[in-house]
Amino acid sequence: MGYTFKGYLREDGLAGTRNHIGIVSSVICSSVITNEIADKVPGAIPITHANGCAQLGDDFQVTKNMLAGIVENPNFHSALLIGLGCETNQVAGLLKSISTTKPLEGFSIQQMAGGKNTAERGITTALTWSKEAKQSSRTELPASLLKVGIVTEDIDEASLQVIAPVINALIELLITSGATVVFGLTKTLEPAGNLLALNTQDASAKKNLTYIGEALSRRRWEKAQGYLRTNFSEQEKSLAALEYQLINTHEIQSLLDYNQKPAKNGLHLIKTSGSIVETLSNFASVGCNLSIILSKRGILTGSNALPCMIVTANNGINHTNNLVDYEIQENQISQQAQALFTQLIEVSSGKLTKLEEYELGEFAIPHIGTTF
Amino acid sequence: MKKFYGYRRSDGSIGVRNHVIVLNTVGELSGLTRKIAKLVSGVTPVIHYSGATNFPEDQQQILRTLVGTAGHPNVSAALIVGMKDDPVAQEIVTTLQAKNRRVHAVYFNSEKSIAAIFEECKQWLSASMDSRQYDVREEALLTELMVGLECGGSDAWSGITANPSIGAFSDMFVEDGGTSVLAETTEAIGAEHIIASNAINQAVREQFLAIVRNYEQRIKETGEDIRSANPTPGNMAGGLTTLEEKSLGCIKKGGSTSLKEVVCYSQAPTEKGFVFMDTPGYDVESVCGLAAGGAQIVLFSTGKGSPTGSPIVPVIKIGTNPKVYEIMSEHIDVNAGKIIEGVSTIEDIGKEIYSLVEAVANGHQTAAENHNNQEFAIWRLAESI
Repeated sequence: MGYTFKGYLREDGLAGTRNHIGIVSSVICSSVITNEIADKVPGAIPITHANGCAQLGDDFQVTKNMLAGIVENPNFHSALLIGLGCETNQVAGLLKSISTTKPLEGFSIQQMAGGKNTAERGITTALTWSKEAKQSSRTELPASLLKVGIVTEDIDEASLQVIAPVINALIELLITSGATVVFGLTKTLEPAGNLLALNTQDASAKKNLTYIGEALSRRRWEKAQGYLRTNFSEQEKSLAALEYQLINTHEIQSLLDYNQKPAKNGLHLIKTSGSIVETLSNFASVGCNLSIILSKRGILTGSNALPCMIVTANNGINHTNNLVDYEIQENQISQQAQALFTQLIEVSSGKLTKLEEYELGEFAIPHIGTTF
Repeated sequence: MKKFYGYRRSDGSIGVRNHVIVLNTVGELSGLTRKIAKLVSGVTPVIHYSGATNFPEDQQQILRTLVGTAGHPNVSAALIVGMKDDPVAQEIVTTLQAKNRRVHAVYFNSEKSIAAIFEECKQWLSASMDSRQYDVREEALLTELMVGLECGGSDAWSGITANPSIGAFSDMFVEDGGTSVLAETTEAIGAEHIIASNAINQAVREQFLAIVRNYEQRIKETGEDIRSANPTPGNMAGGLTTLEEKSLGCIKKGGSTSLKEVVCYSQAPTEKGFVFMDTPGYDVESVCGLAAGGAQIVLFSTGKGSPTGSPIVPVIKIGTNPKVYEIMSEHIDVNAGKIIEGVSTIEDIGKEIYSLVEAVANGHQTAAENHNNQEFAIWRLAESI
């Protein structure tokens, strides 16, 4: 079929749908300076968060990998890391763990002897990149370079019934185009773990999905010994079965953890957080260059690293917040899937989503352990 | 009796600042909250990324922190940004309205359009900024002041200069009837017996030892050993070798008066005098808890030089050595490095801190305030659901 979009081809062969300059704080303590730099550089976006110090083991690793993944994301033309200096998440260590050919630099406030010097040097560096980025232009690229994150947020049965066939057909279009789809394994989808397990040949994904489908399991460090397991209600199971219809018979290549990049194209499931900002940020960190949020309403914040399209059902609800990019109606499944795909290509080629028009995009990192 | 001039609130509390803030209840509202704060000049955004559902220990902690922040004596008015039928927003409003505090909530994802809600926010915030002019400083007793004690980016000098100076301040301040709240349970590990021996009675002693024990246990539950990850790389570059060594220096901020009470994260003490709050060693989360618990000012010693502040309380930075004061002077208020140079004693710096606390209570701006350092983060206890 040979669908194409107009994107930014990076040296490493990945494609960006946007051309951001990333100003990335390694720790919350450098977020003010990070924001200050981003404010003064055209095309720059701040990647600030509440993590980076007083973290241990896996929890620290998620923060570090998340930031490395964001920098590696093809939507970024270049990236500047700003640290404080005494944090656990050292800029030097972070630089070493990033695998990229794009312009990249990093330094810290203590090393530069204060925020003023750090901001000045940061602005100078990022302004150079900003000028370079302006000169690079979009080229015609195959749709197989698209990595699309799809996740549900605040969804109900009525909406799912309307949107499931169309989204399922859209996933089909993406997969046959050779694109990668990263589908969020949300809390609402988890009770369908046993169904999802049937869709995969991957033994470890099959085992994990079956386990996840048995009961809700989340880490709790206050009282419980390890994982707390709570059984799903009938209502949760029935909602999950409907959510499963979004994927239906499509083969699942793998079950990804936070920060884990899909190893090949096709459909993958990925762990999500209870916070939509954290989930979308994780999409960005595993290389997605676009995302779709499926909901019964307009979701109020996206990611600042990648365009987020909001798709709802045309269910008679008056979407007062004007943030919905596409409303799915009943029937005309293949036509609507095609129309949604066309819009996705347009967004990939530079058309702004509603959330982008409103400049609503944030970044946040999930915790899988408590801070100390 | 020492006095200062502060803002008397309708609930009887007294503030040293007069902020108008806008606060979100869940992460999904973070972007809108940032935009709302920009609608009216001078409004302070207080933003966090909590998920919509959490385990009870986190839900209670988030709620307690948000109520304590919105109802803080340093806050003149608080606009709460919530979702339709948002129980957190409703609870904050109910709690603060019962105390006649100036608070208002807007609810997104309701029948109103974003533009209409923005207009409502703009009007309420403008009115709040206007009415703020009529809040005037009045005489208050120093005994109404609560000061949080924090350290961040510690080095080998922290326990020799800045922290004992804060301790000297704390002893004088408590003597005068003030309340000083030591925080950072992590940095009591290995030195807990010293604080415990200062407890006013058996119950407080056991309560304190229990939070330290629970803390270390909670870390173990994650499969990690706290003593292997703390001191941090920066601490070690600064000459600290073990957590015990860091802790022994850290607790010096508490001085030598009796430990009167132990409170949980973001909880307001009921006793006056020396109090301990259960917080993580992560500075921003710890300062956030101290502020939500009612501290109007926070003292923060730093060896490596940290710029962080708080959206609602002035944070006073005390540098531990002459070098950090020299190279990071824009972020530091007091130079305890003078003790190393032999030009000041611990007692002198303690007094200097005390004078500065009084000046800051009366309106003097700290380095963190001058640089708009308004970091905010709530300590998370479990994985979000």
